Amino acid sequence: MRPLLAIFGMLSAIFAPPWVTIICMGLLAFRYPAWEVLFIGLLTDFLWMPAGFLHPMPIFTISALVLVWGLEPLRREFLFS
Amino acid sequence: MDALSGGKIRSVARQVGSEVWKLGSTVAESFVGSGFIGSRRALTKENSALTQQIAQMQERVAACRVLEDENKALRDMLRVAGVERGPARESGITAPIVSSFRSSPYGTFQVGAGSADSVSPGNIVLSAENFVIGRVEEVDLHTALVREIFAPNVSSDALLRGVGVTVEGRGGGNARTSVPRQTDVAVGDTIISPVLRARAIGIIGKVSEDSGSAYKRINIYLPVNLLSLQFVYIVKN
Repeated sequence: MRPLLAIFGMLSAIFAPPWVTIICMGLLAFRYPAWEVLFIGLLTDFLWMPAGFLHPMPIFTISALVLVWGLEPLRREFLFS
Repeated sequence: MDALSGGKIRSVARQVGSEVWKLGSTVAESFVGSGFIGSRRALTKENSALTQQIAQMQERVAACRVLEDENKALRDMLRVAGVERGPARESGITAPIVSSFRSSPYGTFQVGAGSADSVSPGNIVLSAENFVIGRVEEVDLHTALVREIFAPNVSSDALLRGVGVTVEGRGGGNARTSVPRQTDVAVGDTIISPVLRARAIGIIGKVSEDSGSAYKRINIYLPVNLLSLQFVYIVKN
C-alpha cells in the first residue's frame, strides 16, 4: 500500500491537480512515518515553483515537513505506528 | 540544497517531469484511440469539440474587438504623431506545451523551448489569437517555466476603457478587478496591459454592482481553453 501511494503521489504531482497530491501526502503521513511525503512535496515545488528565496512560499515542502515531523507526536499517540 | 547546486536539481526534476508527462499523454492518447472506451470516448470527444468550438468563437469575437480597438488606437496615434511607424521589430518562436496546465499550485506550466532557442526570462507568451497567457519565469536549456498572467495572487496593471486597474489573478485563466462605479464597462470589453506592450490579457465575463459600494466588481477571463492548448508563441525581447 505504501509504495503504491508513494508512486501515485509522485505521478499526481506531474499529472493531477494539486489537491490530489496533497491528499496522497496526507494519506501517507496519516498511516506511516513516511519520508516519501517530503520527496513528493519537494518534487512538486521543484517542478512548478519559480525560483526565488521564499517567494512564493514553497507550500508543498512546508506541508510535507509539517505532515512528516510536525504530526509525528500525534501519530505516535493516537494512530497506527 | 537546490540553490547550492545552482538550480541543477530543479532543472533535472523539470526535465524528468516533462518527459514523464509526454510519455503519459502519448499512452493516454493511444488508449483513447484504441476504441477500448468507445461510447465514453464519443461523448467526451463531442463535449470537447463543442467546448473548443465555443472557446474559439469567443476568442475570435474578442480578437475582433482587440483588432478594432488596436485599429482605432493606431489611427489615433497616426493622427497625433503625424508619422507612420514601421512594423514592430520583434521576433518569436512557437513552442509546444510540455506539462499539464492543471497540476501546478503556482499557476505555472512548461514549454519545450529554452535558452538554446534564445528564450529568456521576461519573454511574453501568447495564444494563437494574440492574447497574453503568461511570462517566462525561468529558463533551462530546452524547457522554460511560464507563469500564467492570471496565476493565483499575481497582480498586473491593466487598462480597461482607458481606466487604470490592478487585476488580481485567481488561477485557471480567471481574474478579478474593481473600477469606480461611474466607469462605463460592459461584458465583452477587452482588458489591455500597457506593461505587456498594449496586448490584450482578457475580456470581461461579469460585472456586478452593489448599491452600497463605490466600486463595480469585475470578473475577467482569458478566452482561451488552456487545457486544449498545444502550442504557444513566445515573443523574444
